[in-house]
Amino acid sequence: MIKGMKREVAKRVFSKEFNYSKFKVGGEGEKEAVYVLTPLGLRCNRLFIVGVLLEKEEVKPDSDMWRIRVADPTGSFLGFVSKFQPEALEALVDLNPPEIVAITAKAKLLERGDRVIPLIRPENINSSDFQTRDYWIVETAKATLKRIRAIENGEEKAVIEKYDPDLEEFRSAVINALMKLKEEQNILEKGREFEREDKERKEVKKDLGFEIDEEIVDLSDFDIGD
Amino acid sequence: MAEDRFQTIVNEIYERFKVYGVTRKEIESRLKLLLFEFKVPEEEAKRTIVNGLRKNYNIAKGDLKTPIVKISQIEPNQWVSLKGKIIQLWEPSSPTIAQTGLIGDETGTARFVVWSKSNKKRLEEGKSYLFEKVVVDEFMGIKSIKVTSVSDIKEISEEIEVKEERGEIEVVGALVAIQQNSGLLQTCKLCGRVVKAGICVEHGKVETNEVLRLRGVLDDGERTYDLTLNEKCISSLTGIGIKEARKLAEEHLDRSIVLMELKKRLFGKYLKVSGELRFRSLNASSVEFYRPEILKEVEKVLGEEGI
Repeated sequence: MIKGMKREVAKRVFSKEFNYSKFKVGGEGEKEAVYVLTPLGLRCNRLFIVGVLLEKEEVKPDSDMWRIRVADPTGSFLGFVSKFQPEALEALVDLNPPEIVAITAKAKLLERGDRVIPLIRPENINSSDFQTRDYWIVETAKATLKRIRAIENGEEKAVIEKYDPDLEEFRSAVINALMKLKEEQNILEKGREFEREDKERKEVKKDLGFEIDEEIVDLSDFDIGD
Repeated sequence: MAEDRFQTIVNEIYERFKVYGVTRKEIESRLKLLLFEFKVPEEEAKRTIVNGLRKNYNIAKGDLKTPIVKISQIEPNQWVSLKGKIIQLWEPSSPTIAQTGLIGDETGTARFVVWSKSNKKRLEEGKSYLFEKVVVDEFMGIKSIKVTSVSDIKEISEEIEVKEERGEIEVVGALVAIQQNSGLLQTCKLCGRVVKAGICVEHGKVETNEVLRLRGVLDDGERTYDLTLNEKCISSLTGIGIKEARKLAEEHLDRSIVLMELKKRLFGKYLKVSGELRFRSLNASSVEFYRPEILKEVEKVLGEEGI
Protein backbone atom coordinates (compact mmCIF):
# COMPACT_ATOMS: atom_id res chain seq x y z
CA MET A 1 0.00 0.00 0.00
CA ILE A 2 1.24 3.45 -0.84
CA LYS A 3 1.54 5.55 2.28
CA GLY A 4 -0.73 8.55 2.53
CA MET A 5 -3.47 6.98 0.46
CA LYS A 6 -6.62 5.70 1.98
CA ARG A 7 -6.88 2.00 1.33
CA GLU A 8 -9.93 1.00 -0.63
CA VAL A 9 -12.21 -1.42 1.18
CA ALA A 10 -12.58 -4.79 -0.57
CA LYS A 11 -16.30 -5.04 -1.32
CA ARG A 12 -18.28 -8.30 -1.37
CA VAL A 13 -20.45 -8.80 -4.41
CA PHE A 14 -21.81 -11.80 -6.32
CA SER A 15 -20.79 -12.18 -9.96
CA LYS A 16 -24.39 -11.82 -11.16
CA GLU A 17 -24.67 -8.31 -9.76
CA PHE A 18 -21.15 -7.34 -10.81
CA ASN A 19 -21.55 -8.60 -14.37
CA TYR A 20 -24.58 -6.36 -14.93
CA SER A 21 -22.46 -3.25 -14.27
CA LYS A 22 -22.31 -0.68 -17.03
CA PHE A 23 -21.24 2.57 -15.40
CA LYS A 24 -18.23 4.02 -13.66
CA VAL A 25 -18.36 6.73 -11.03
CA GLY A 26 -15.71 8.92 -9.40
CA GLY A 27 -12.29 9.62 -10.83
CA GLU A 28 -13.04 13.33 -11.07
CA GLY A 29 -10.52 14.90 -8.75
CA GLU A 30 -6.89 14.04 -9.36
CA LYS A 31 -6.74 11.71 -6.41
CA GLU A 32 -10.21 10.27 -6.57
CA ALA A 33 -10.39 6.60 -7.40
CA VAL A 34 -12.60 5.19 -10.14
CA TYR A 35 -15.42 2.94 -8.99
CA VAL A 36 -17.57 0.47 -10.83
CA LEU A 37 -21.20 1.18 -10.05
CA THR A 38 -23.24 -2.04 -9.86
CA PRO A 39 -26.98 -2.18 -10.59
CA LEU A 40 -27.65 -2.42 -6.86
CA GLY A 41 -25.71 0.74 -6.15
CA LEU A 42 -22.43 -0.72 -4.89
CA ARG A 43 -19.46 1.51 -5.65
CA CYS A 44 -16.52 -0.84 -5.85
CA ASN A 45 -12.87 -0.34 -6.62
CA ARG A 46 -11.49 -3.42 -4.88
CA LEU A 47 -13.23 -6.78 -4.44
CA PHE A 48 -12.68 -9.77 -2.20
CA ILE A 49 -13.90 -12.99 -3.79
CA VAL A 50 -13.83 -16.61 -2.67
CA GLY A 51 -14.92 -18.94 -5.44
CA VAL A 52 -13.96 -21.80 -7.71
CA LEU A 53 -11.20 -21.18 -10.23
CA LEU A 54 -12.70 -22.87 -13.28
CA GLU A 55 -10.38 -21.83 -16.07
CA LYS A 56 -6.94 -20.39 -16.48
CA GLU A 57 -5.63 -19.92 -19.94
CA GLU A 58 -2.77 -17.93 -21.39
CA VAL A 59 -4.32 -15.41 -23.78
CA LYS A 60 -1.48 -15.87 -26.29
CA PRO A 61 1.42 -18.29 -25.90
CA ASP A 62 4.27 -16.75 -23.86
CA SER A 63 2.34 -13.51 -23.35
CA ASP A 64 2.25 -13.94 -19.57
CA MET A 65 -1.31 -12.64 -19.75
CA TRP A 66 -3.76 -15.11 -18.30
CA ARG A 67 -7.50 -15.18 -18.59
CA ILE A 68 -9.27 -16.72 -15.60
CA ARG A 69 -12.85 -17.53 -14.70
CA VAL A 70 -13.93 -17.80 -11.07
CA ALA A 71 -17.38 -19.11 -10.21
CA ASP A 72 -19.65 -18.27 -7.30
CA PRO A 73 -23.17 -19.62 -6.76
CA THR A 74 -24.69 -16.99 -9.09
CA GLY A 75 -22.35 -17.10 -12.10
CA SER A 76 -18.70 -16.34 -12.73
CA PHE A 77 -16.18 -13.51 -12.74
CA LEU A 78 -13.98 -12.95 -15.76
CA GLY A 79 -10.46 -11.91 -14.85
CA PHE A 80 -7.09 -11.12 -16.36
CA VAL A 81 -3.72 -11.54 -14.68
CA SER A 82 -0.60 -10.11 -16.24
CA LYS A 83 2.95 -9.24 -15.24
CA PHE A 84 1.62 -6.03 -13.75
CA GLN A 85 0.18 -8.16 -10.94
CA PRO A 86 3.37 -10.08 -10.11
CA GLU A 87 2.10 -11.62 -6.88
CA ALA A 88 -1.09 -12.89 -8.45
CA LEU A 89 0.81 -14.17 -11.48
CA GLU A 90 3.27 -16.09 -9.31
CA ALA A 91 0.48 -17.65 -7.26
CA LEU A 92 -1.51 -18.59 -10.36
CA VAL A 93 1.29 -20.87 -11.57
CA ASP A 94 0.66 -23.29 -8.71
CA LEU A 95 -3.12 -23.32 -9.05
CA ASN A 96 -4.92 -25.91 -11.12
CA PRO A 97 -8.64 -25.65 -11.91
CA PRO A 98 -10.97 -26.57 -10.44
CA GLU A 99 -9.75 -25.21 -7.15
CA ILE A 100 -11.22 -22.95 -4.48
CA VAL A 101 -9.41 -19.65 -4.40
CA ALA A 102 -9.50 -16.41 -2.42
CA ILE A 103 -8.83 -13.31 -4.50
CA THR A 104 -8.42 -9.60 -3.95
CA ALA A 105 -8.86 -7.77 -7.21
CA LYS A 106 -9.45 -4.39 -8.78
CA ALA A 107 -12.87 -4.01 -10.39
CA LYS A 108 -12.73 -2.80 -13.99
CA LEU A 109 -15.05 -2.08 -16.90
CA LEU A 110 -13.63 -2.83 -20.31
CA GLU A 111 -15.23 -0.79 -23.08
CA ARG A 112 -15.38 -2.47 -26.47
CA GLY A 113 -17.35 -0.37 -28.90
CA ASP A 114 -20.80 -0.08 -27.42
CA ARG A 115 -20.27 -3.10 -25.20
CA VAL A 116 -19.09 -2.84 -21.60
CA ILE A 117 -17.44 -5.89 -20.10
CA PRO A 118 -17.02 -6.02 -16.31
CA LEU A 119 -13.87 -7.85 -15.27
CA ILE A 120 -11.45 -8.23 -12.40
CA ARG A 121 -7.69 -7.67 -12.23
CA PRO A 122 -6.50 -9.85 -9.33
CA GLU A 123 -3.84 -8.40 -7.03
CA ASN A 124 -3.49 -11.56 -4.96
CA ILE A 125 -4.71 -15.11 -5.35
CA ASN A 126 -4.37 -17.96 -2.89
CA SER A 127 -5.87 -21.39 -2.64
CA SER A 128 -8.69 -21.45 -0.13
CA ASP A 129 -11.13 -23.92 1.43
CA PHE A 130 -14.81 -24.80 1.54
CA GLN A 131 -15.40 -23.24 4.94
CA THR A 132 -14.03 -19.88 3.82
CA ARG A 133 -16.07 -20.09 0.62
CA ASP A 134 -19.25 -20.84 2.58
CA TYR A 135 -18.79 -17.89 4.89
CA TRP A 136 -18.02 -15.64 1.93
CA ILE A 137 -21.39 -16.61 0.44
CA VAL A 138 -23.17 -15.74 3.70
CA GLU A 139 -21.34 -12.43 4.01
CA THR A 140 -21.94 -11.50 0.38
CA ALA A 141 -25.60 -12.48 0.60
CA LYS A 142 -26.03 -10.20 3.63
CA ALA A 143 -24.34 -7.28 1.87
CA THR A 144 -26.41 -7.79 -1.29
CA LEU A 145 -29.73 -7.97 0.57
CA LYS A 146 -28.79 -4.79 2.40
CA ARG A 147 -28.28 -3.03 -0.93
CA ILE A 148 -31.62 -4.29 -2.21
CA ARG A 149 -33.36 -2.95 0.91
CA ALA A 150 -31.67 0.44 0.46
CA ILE A 151 -33.05 0.68 -3.08
CA GLU A 152 -36.50 -0.40 -1.91
CA ASN A 153 -36.37 2.38 0.66
CA GLY A 154 -35.64 4.88 -2.11
CA GLU A 155 -32.12 5.67 -0.85
CA GLU A 156 -30.45 5.16 -4.23
CA LYS A 157 -32.35 7.36 -6.69
CA ALA A 158 -29.39 7.76 -9.05
CA VAL A 159 -28.98 4.00 -9.35
CA ILE A 160 -32.65 3.44 -10.13
CA GLU A 161 -32.42 6.09 -12.83
CA LYS A 162 -29.35 4.54 -14.40
CA TYR A 163 -30.19 0.85 -14.14
CA ASP A 164 -33.80 0.43 -13.08
CA PRO A 165 -32.73 -2.95 -11.60
CA ASP A 166 -35.05 -5.92 -11.38
CA LEU A 167 -34.76 -6.32 -7.61
CA GLU A 168 -36.70 -9.59 -7.52
CA GLU A 169 -34.25 -11.19 -9.95
CA PHE A 170 -31.24 -10.27 -7.80
CA ARG A 171 -33.01 -11.17 -4.61
CA SER A 172 -33.96 -14.64 -5.83
CA ALA A 173 -30.37 -15.25 -7.01
CA VAL A 174 -29.21 -14.55 -3.45
CA ILE A 175 -31.93 -16.68 -1.89
CA ASN A 176 -31.11 -19.57 -4.24
CA ALA A 177 -27.44 -19.36 -3.29
CA LEU A 178 -28.39 -19.51 0.39
CA MET A 179 -30.86 -22.38 -0.07
CA LYS A 180 -28.22 -24.40 -1.91
CA LEU A 181 -25.72 -23.71 0.85
CA LYS A 182 -28.29 -24.73 3.45
CA GLU A 183 -28.91 -28.00 1.66
CA GLU A 184 -25.19 -28.75 1.51
CA GLN A 185 -24.81 -27.91 5.16
CA ASN A 186 -27.69 -30.22 6.06
CA ILE A 187 -26.03 -33.06 4.19
CA LEU A 188 -22.72 -32.29 5.86
CA GLU A 189 -24.45 -32.21 9.22
CA LYS A 190 -26.02 -35.61 8.56
CA GLY A 191 -22.61 -36.91 7.58
CA ARG A 192 -21.13 -35.60 10.79
CA GLU A 193 -23.95 -37.17 12.83
CA PHE A 194 -23.35 -40.48 11.15
CA GLU A 195 -19.64 -40.22 11.89
CA ARG A 196 -20.35 -39.40 15.50
CA GLU A 197 -22.72 -42.36 15.88
CA ASP A 198 -20.27 -44.60 14.14
CA LYS A 199 -17.51 -43.48 16.46
CA GLU A 200 -19.70 -43.97 19.51
CA ARG A 201 -20.54 -47.45 18.38
CA LYS A 202 -16.86 -48.23 17.93
CA GLU A 203 -16.07 -46.76 21.32
CA VAL A 204 -18.69 -48.95 22.96
CA LYS A 205 -17.12 -51.97 21.31
CA LYS A 206 -13.70 -50.90 22.44
CA ASP A 207 -14.94 -50.49 25.99
CA LEU A 208 -16.36 -54.00 25.95
CA GLY A 209 -13.14 -55.39 24.60
CA PHE A 210 -11.17 -53.69 27.31
CA GLU A 211 -13.33 -55.02 30.12
CA ILE A 212 -13.16 -58.52 28.79
CA ASP A 213 -9.41 -58.24 28.51
CA GLU A 214 -9.21 -57.15 32.10
CA GLU A 215 -11.21 -60.11 33.25
CA ILE A 216 -8.94 -62.46 31.40
CA VAL A 217 -5.83 -60.91 32.81
CA ASP A 218 -4.91 -62.54 36.03
CA LEU A 219 -2.20 -60.82 37.99
CA SER A 220 -0.75 -64.14 38.93
CA ASP A 221 0.07 -64.67 35.25
CA PHE A 222 2.76 -62.03 35.51
CA ASP A 223 6.15 -62.87 36.77
CA ILE A 224 6.77 -59.84 38.93
CA GLY A 225 10.13 -61.03 40.00
CA ASP A 226 11.71 -60.93 43.39
CA MET B 1 -18.30 17.03 -14.00
CA ALA B 2 -21.52 15.68 -12.62
CA GLU B 3 -24.24 18.19 -11.93
CA ASP B 4 -24.62 17.13 -8.29
CA ARG B 5 -20.90 17.53 -7.63
CA PHE B 6 -21.06 21.00 -9.14
CA GLN B 7 -24.00 21.91 -6.91
CA THR B 8 -22.21 20.56 -3.83
CA ILE B 9 -19.36 22.97 -4.41
CA VAL B 10 -21.74 25.85 -5.02
CA ASN B 11 -23.57 25.03 -1.81
CA GLU B 12 -20.39 24.72 0.18
CA ILE B 13 -19.32 28.22 -0.84
CA TYR B 14 -22.82 29.66 -0.58
CA GLU B 15 -23.21 28.44 3.03
CA ARG B 16 -20.11 30.36 3.99
CA PHE B 17 -21.06 33.60 2.26
CA LYS B 18 -24.84 33.81 2.43
CA VAL B 19 -24.76 35.99 5.55
CA TYR B 20 -22.91 38.62 3.51
CA GLY B 21 -25.60 38.69 0.82
CA VAL B 22 -23.78 36.66 -1.80
CA THR B 23 -26.15 34.95 -4.24
CA ARG B 24 -26.01 31.40 -5.50
CA LYS B 25 -26.08 32.71 -9.08
CA GLU B 26 -22.93 34.69 -8.56
CA ILE B 27 -21.07 31.63 -7.33
CA GLU B 28 -22.45 29.42 -10.08
CA SER B 29 -21.35 31.67 -12.89
CA ARG B 30 -17.83 32.07 -11.52
CA LEU B 31 -17.50 28.37 -10.91
CA LYS B 32 -18.73 27.55 -14.41
CA LEU B 33 -16.23 29.93 -15.91
CA LEU B 34 -13.28 28.47 -14.01
CA LEU B 35 -14.20 24.81 -14.24
CA PHE B 36 -15.70 24.48 -17.69
CA GLU B 37 -14.05 27.19 -19.73
CA PHE B 38 -10.64 27.41 -18.12
CA LYS B 39 -10.62 23.79 -16.88
CA VAL B 40 -9.04 24.81 -13.59
CA PRO B 41 -8.79 22.01 -10.97
CA GLU B 42 -11.68 21.91 -8.51
CA GLU B 43 -9.71 22.93 -5.42
CA GLU B 44 -8.08 25.86 -7.22
CA ALA B 45 -11.42 27.07 -8.53
CA LYS B 46 -12.92 26.90 -5.04
CA ARG B 47 -10.04 28.82 -3.52
CA THR B 48 -10.12 31.48 -6.19
CA ILE B 49 -13.83 32.08 -5.73
CA VAL B 50 -13.58 32.24 -1.95
CA ASN B 51 -10.69 34.69 -2.14
CA GLY B 52 -12.46 36.77 -4.77
CA LEU B 53 -15.68 36.98 -2.77
CA ARG B 54 -13.79 37.93 0.36
CA LYS B 55 -12.13 40.79 -1.47
CA ASN B 56 -15.35 42.00 -3.12
CA TYR B 57 -17.34 41.98 0.09
CA ASN B 58 -14.45 43.24 2.19
CA ILE B 59 -14.38 40.36 4.61
CA ALA B 60 -11.19 39.94 6.65
CA LYS B 61 -9.81 36.40 6.51
CA GLY B 62 -10.49 35.83 10.19
CA ASP B 63 -14.09 36.99 10.05
CA LEU B 64 -15.31 34.52 7.52
CA LYS B 65 -17.82 32.16 9.10
CA THR B 66 -17.22 28.48 8.57
CA PRO B 67 -19.89 25.76 8.71
CA ILE B 68 -20.06 23.56 11.80
CA VAL B 69 -19.42 19.98 10.74
CA LYS B 70 -19.09 16.57 12.34
CA ILE B 71 -15.66 15.02 12.53
CA SER B 72 -16.61 12.11 10.26
CA GLN B 73 -17.43 14.62 7.49
CA ILE B 74 -14.22 16.61 7.39
CA GLU B 75 -12.23 16.57 4.17
CA PRO B 76 -8.70 17.80 3.47
CA ASN B 77 -8.34 21.51 2.59
CA GLN B 78 -11.70 22.45 4.11
CA TRP B 79 -12.10 25.37 6.47
CA VAL B 80 -14.58 24.26 9.10
CA SER B 81 -15.84 24.72 12.62
CA LEU B 82 -16.53 21.79 14.91
CA LYS B 83 -17.43 20.85 18.43
CA GLY B 84 -15.41 18.13 20.09
CA LYS B 85 -13.96 16.72 23.25
CA ILE B 86 -10.22 16.50 23.84
CA ILE B 87 -9.60 12.80 24.29
CA GLN B 88 -5.85 12.85 24.63
CA LEU B 89 -2.96 15.28 24.54
CA TRP B 90 0.41 14.15 23.25
CA GLU B 91 3.90 15.45 23.66
CA PRO B 92 4.47 17.94 20.79
CA SER B 93 7.27 16.77 18.53
CA SER B 94 8.45 20.26 17.65
CA PRO B 95 8.59 23.69 19.32
CA THR B 96 6.41 25.08 16.52
CA ILE B 97 3.55 23.00 17.95
CA ALA B 98 1.94 24.23 21.16
CA GLN B 99 -0.36 21.29 21.62
CA THR B 100 -1.32 18.18 19.75
CA GLY B 101 -3.64 15.29 20.42
CA LEU B 102 -6.88 13.61 19.62
CA ILE B 103 -10.29 15.28 19.44
CA GLY B 104 -13.56 13.39 19.06
CA ASP B 105 -17.28 13.79 18.66
CA GLU B 106 -20.14 11.33 18.33
CA THR B 107 -19.12 10.54 14.74
CA GLY B 108 -15.42 9.89 15.08
CA THR B 109 -12.01 11.17 16.07
CA ALA B 110 -9.28 13.21 14.44
CA ARG B 111 -5.83 14.46 15.28
CA PHE B 112 -5.38 18.13 15.90
CA VAL B 113 -2.43 20.48 16.04
CA VAL B 114 -2.36 23.88 17.73
CA TRP B 115 0.51 25.93 16.30
CA SER B 116 2.61 27.86 18.82
CA LYS B 117 2.23 30.99 16.72
CA SER B 118 -1.56 30.86 17.10
CA ASN B 119 -1.29 31.97 20.76
CA LYS B 120 -4.26 30.00 22.02
CA LYS B 121 -5.27 29.24 25.59
CA ARG B 122 -4.15 25.76 26.57
CA LEU B 123 -6.64 22.95 25.99
CA GLU B 124 -7.33 20.41 28.70
CA GLU B 125 -7.97 16.72 28.37
CA GLY B 126 -11.59 15.70 28.90
CA LYS B 127 -13.01 19.17 28.23
CA SER B 128 -15.15 20.08 25.24
CA TYR B 129 -14.48 22.98 22.89
CA LEU B 130 -15.89 24.78 19.90
CA PHE B 131 -13.15 25.04 17.26
CA GLU B 132 -13.95 27.81 14.78
CA LYS B 133 -12.23 28.47 11.47
CA VAL B 134 -9.81 25.56 11.59
CA VAL B 135 -8.35 23.97 8.50
CA VAL B 136 -8.20 20.27 7.73
CA ASP B 137 -5.24 18.60 6.16
CA GLU B 138 -4.13 15.06 5.60
CA PHE B 139 -0.84 13.42 6.34
CA MET B 140 -0.11 9.74 5.71
CA GLY B 141 -3.78 9.06 5.23
CA ILE B 142 -4.72 10.52 8.59
CA LYS B 143 -6.81 13.66 8.69
CA SER B 144 -5.69 16.32 11.05
CA ILE B 145 -7.15 19.62 12.17
CA LYS B 146 -4.88 22.66 12.26
CA VAL B 147 -5.53 25.51 14.68
CA THR B 148 -3.97 28.72 13.37
CA SER B 149 -3.98 32.35 14.48
CA VAL B 150 -7.27 33.04 12.65
CA SER B 151 -9.00 30.20 14.49
CA ASP B 152 -11.11 30.70 17.59
CA ILE B 153 -11.40 28.21 20.40
CA LYS B 154 -14.09 28.43 23.06
CA GLU B 155 -14.67 26.06 25.90
CA ILE B 156 -18.24 24.74 25.93
CA SER B 157 -20.15 23.06 28.72
CA GLU B 158 -21.99 20.71 26.38
CA GLU B 159 -21.31 17.05 27.15
CA ILE B 160 -20.02 15.34 24.03
CA GLU B 161 -20.32 11.59 23.70
CA VAL B 162 -17.25 10.44 21.82
CA LYS B 163 -17.43 7.53 19.43
CA GLU B 164 -15.00 4.95 20.68
CA GLU B 165 -12.19 4.72 18.18
CA ARG B 166 -9.56 3.19 20.36
CA GLY B 167 -9.31 0.60 23.02
CA GLU B 168 -9.86 -3.12 23.09
CA ILE B 169 -12.01 -4.35 20.26
CA GLU B 170 -12.92 -7.61 18.58
CA VAL B 171 -13.36 -7.75 14.82
CA VAL B 172 -14.02 -10.37 12.20
CA GLY B 173 -12.68 -9.76 8.74
CA ALA B 174 -10.79 -11.25 5.84
CA LEU B 175 -7.02 -10.92 5.67
CA VAL B 176 -6.93 -9.23 2.25
CA ALA B 177 -3.27 -8.21 2.14
CA ILE B 178 0.02 -9.22 3.70
CA GLN B 179 2.78 -6.61 3.51
CA GLN B 180 6.31 -7.36 2.36
CA ASN B 181 7.75 -6.36 5.73
CA SER B 182 6.33 -9.51 7.28
CA GLY B 183 7.86 -12.87 8.10
CA LEU B 184 11.15 -13.67 9.76
CA LEU B 185 12.88 -10.31 10.00
CA GLN B 186 16.04 -8.80 11.40
CA THR B 187 15.57 -5.53 13.24
CA CYS B 188 18.11 -2.98 14.44
CA LYS B 189 18.92 -3.35 18.14
CA LEU B 190 19.08 0.43 18.48
CA CYS B 191 15.93 1.60 16.69
CA GLY B 192 13.84 -1.46 15.88
CA ARG B 193 13.74 -0.76 12.14
CA VAL B 194 13.84 -3.70 9.76
CA VAL B 195 17.41 -4.30 8.67
CA LYS B 196 18.47 -5.65 5.29
CA ALA B 197 21.83 -7.43 4.97
CA GLY B 198 22.81 -6.26 8.45
CA ILE B 199 22.70 -2.56 7.52
CA CYS B 200 20.28 -0.21 9.29
CA VAL B 201 19.31 2.89 7.29
CA GLU B 202 19.80 4.98 10.42
CA HIS B 203 22.66 3.27 12.26
CA GLY B 204 24.70 1.48 9.59
CA LYS B 205 26.14 -1.91 10.42
CA VAL B 206 24.42 -3.00 13.62
CA GLU B 207 23.62 -5.93 15.83
CA THR B 208 20.19 -7.27 15.10
CA ASN B 209 17.25 -8.96 16.77
CA GLU B 210 15.33 -11.63 14.98
CA VAL B 211 11.54 -11.27 15.02
CA LEU B 212 8.61 -13.09 13.50
CA ARG B 213 5.87 -10.67 12.61
CA LEU B 214 3.01 -10.14 10.19
CA ARG B 215 1.70 -6.81 8.94
CA GLY B 216 -1.44 -7.03 6.90
CA VAL B 217 -4.87 -5.63 6.22
CA LEU B 218 -8.03 -7.00 7.79
CA ASP B 219 -11.14 -6.04 5.85
CA ASP B 220 -14.76 -6.64 6.87
CA GLY B 221 -16.25 -5.22 3.66
CA GLU B 222 -17.06 -1.91 5.33
CA ARG B 223 -13.72 -0.76 6.66
CA THR B 224 -10.10 -1.84 6.87
CA TYR B 225 -7.69 -2.27 9.75
CA ASP B 226 -3.91 -2.26 9.56
CA LEU B 227 -3.27 -5.47 11.41
CA THR B 228 -0.13 -6.53 13.25
CA LEU B 229 0.30 -10.10 14.43
CA ASN B 230 3.15 -10.95 16.79
CA GLU B 231 4.96 -14.27 17.07
CA LYS B 232 2.45 -15.68 19.55
CA CYS B 233 -0.49 -14.92 17.27
CA ILE B 234 1.25 -16.28 14.18
CA SER B 235 2.17 -19.43 16.02
CA SER B 236 -1.36 -19.98 17.32
CA LEU B 237 -2.73 -19.78 13.76
CA THR B 238 -0.06 -21.66 11.83
CA GLY B 239 2.05 -23.56 14.31
CA ILE B 240 5.02 -21.61 13.02
CA GLY B 241 6.83 -19.93 15.89
CA ILE B 242 10.22 -18.30 15.68
CA LYS B 243 12.00 -21.67 16.09
CA GLU B 244 10.06 -23.26 13.25
CA ALA B 245 10.54 -20.15 11.12
CA ARG B 246 14.31 -20.28 11.64
CA LYS B 247 14.35 -23.93 10.75
CA LEU B 248 12.39 -23.25 7.57
CA ALA B 249 14.75 -20.46 6.61
CA GLU B 250 17.78 -22.64 7.26
CA GLU B 251 16.44 -25.56 5.27
CA HIS B 252 15.76 -23.32 2.27
CA LEU B 253 18.75 -21.04 2.84
CA ASP B 254 16.29 -18.18 2.44
CA ARG B 255 14.34 -16.09 4.92
CA SER B 256 11.69 -15.09 2.43
CA ILE B 257 10.34 -18.66 2.49
CA VAL B 258 8.74 -17.78 5.84
CA LEU B 259 6.74 -14.93 4.32
CA MET B 260 5.69 -17.16 1.43
CA GLU B 261 4.54 -19.83 3.84
CA LEU B 262 2.54 -17.32 5.89
CA LYS B 263 0.90 -15.95 2.76
CA LYS B 264 -0.06 -19.44 1.65
CA ARG B 265 -1.66 -20.27 4.98
CA LEU B 266 -3.26 -16.96 5.89
CA PHE B 267 -4.06 -14.85 2.83
CA GLY B 268 -7.81 -14.68 2.23
CA LYS B 269 -8.78 -16.33 5.52
CA TYR B 270 -11.41 -14.95 7.84
CA LEU B 271 -9.90 -14.08 11.19
CA LYS B 272 -11.43 -13.12 14.51
CA VAL B 273 -9.03 -10.69 16.11
CA SER B 274 -8.98 -9.17 19.58
CA GLY B 275 -6.59 -6.37 20.15
CA GLU B 276 -5.94 -2.72 20.71
CA LEU B 277 -7.19 -0.30 18.09
CA ARG B 278 -5.46 3.04 17.53
CA PHE B 279 -6.86 4.88 14.54
CA ARG B 280 -6.64 2.24 11.87
CA SER B 281 -3.94 0.15 13.49
CA LEU B 282 -5.04 -3.03 15.18
CA ASN B 283 -2.44 -4.69 17.33
CA ALA B 284 -3.66 -8.23 17.90
CA SER B 285 -3.43 -9.74 21.36
CA SER B 286 -5.21 -12.90 20.29
CA VAL B 287 -6.44 -14.28 17.01
CA GLU B 288 -8.22 -17.35 15.66
CA PHE B 289 -9.61 -18.55 12.36
CA TYR B 290 -13.25 -17.46 12.23
CA ARG B 291 -15.36 -20.57 11.80
CA PRO B 292 -19.00 -19.83 12.45
CA GLU B 293 -21.70 -22.47 12.12
CA ILE B 294 -22.64 -21.83 8.52
CA LEU B 295 -26.05 -23.49 8.79
CA LYS B 296 -27.10 -21.18 11.61
CA GLU B 297 -25.80 -18.13 9.77
CA VAL B 298 -27.68 -19.09 6.61
CA GLU B 299 -30.91 -19.71 8.51
CA LYS B 300 -30.57 -16.34 10.22
CA VAL B 301 -30.24 -14.46 6.92
CA LEU B 302 -33.11 -16.43 5.35
CA GLY B 303 -35.21 -15.76 8.45
CA GLU B 304 -34.71 -12.02 8.05
CA GLU B 305 -36.05 -12.37 4.51
CA GLY B 306 -39.11 -14.20 5.81
CA ILE B 307 -38.10 -17.60 4.45
